[in-house]
Amino acid sequence: MEITGSLATIGYGLAAIGPGIGVGIIFGMGVQAIARQPEARGVLQTQMIFGFAVVEALAILGFVLALIQQ
Amino acid sequence: MNQQNDVSAGLHSAASEEGCHIFNTHGCGFQPPGTSLFFPEPYLDFGIPGTAGITKYFVVLTLALLISAGFWYFTTRNAKVVPSRGQSLAEMLVEFIRNQITRNTMGKEGDKYLPLMVTMFVFIFAMNIMGLIPIPGLQLPVTTSLAIPTMLALFVYVLWNGAGIRRNGVGGHLKAHLVPGGVPKPLLILVTPIEALSNFLIRPFTHALRLFAVMFAGHLLLAVFAAAGFYMFNPLTEMGAALGAVSVGYSALALIGFLVFTVFELFIMAVQAYVFVLLSSVYIGQAVEGAH
Repeated sequence: MEITGSLATIGYGLAAIGPGIGVGIIFGMGVQAIARQPEARGVLQTQMIFGFAVVEALAILGFVLALIQQ
Repeated sequence: MNQQNDVSAGLHSAASEEGCHIFNTHGCGFQPPGTSLFFPEPYLDFGIPGTAGITKYFVVLTLALLISAGFWYFTTRNAKVVPSRGQSLAEMLVEFIRNQITRNTMGKEGDKYLPLMVTMFVFIFAMNIMGLIPIPGLQLPVTTSLAIPTMLALFVYVLWNGAGIRRNGVGGHLKAHLVPGGVPKPLLILVTPIEALSNFLIRPFTHALRLFAVMFAGHLLLAVFAAAGFYMFNPLTEMGAALGAVSVGYSALALIGFLVFTVFELFIMAVQAYVFVLLSSVYIGQAVEGAH
């Protein structure tokens, strides 16, 4: 069997695993924290989105590398 | 394999000659939309090296600029103490950015940067939303051109470095970003280069790429759904009425997927504009705060 296509696509899939887990942990923990202390919601939400953006950067670098490898 | 090559060679000519749909008899396959979507032919090419001339992006960018300027003009031209409907919308937006972003990241001092942040949010959202407004031939998010997020990110980069140097001096600014508090002295040999790389080199890079890559991927996804729905719609196929009915069913599924992802895309566009402004605000806040 012969498979054609670009390995870069699989590379992007691998690069998305880590950030996927990370984003899940961030939002899971964030929701837990808000449930325990609803009055801290504003600060927690900002921190959650900030952490999400930082983790997501890894997936985005993978995406860009997958595209320029074509 | 050889046979497949013949089919795909025949397919290119067939696709250009007539409408290419599923269940056809001339061996025509699906051609997914590629990244050429984001490199439109220029309307006017001045032949200056390194420039693209006047392309679709230029026209859509002008439209987005008019939309964001028009939004502020029509909502705030008769500002009153008791706000009208449009004015209260604008006020809600400003208050949202103030309470959710600038106050949380910079404290009261952040109110100085509030006009910039609100302007940037509305402008980026207007540029993103151009990917969903169905103007024939001009439906393209402007932020899928890497140049636009890059310029915005560079502007923020200069701004937070300038603000940090003005407040803390060059030494204080560098110390705040190169020497994290609570790290033992010998470890600094390792930590300082990493901090320098992540704060001064990778930071503006990911700041621009985040907005670009998410909009790029989202627009490509919508294009694939639209093209697939069009490809699969073939009720008058030569292979019989039953397959024609199946093709309409497939096409309906693609349409549902397209609509669902359009709504999802709208959400992503707002989130990306929010994240871009939040990150700008966090960077400026960290620079102004200095070492601790």
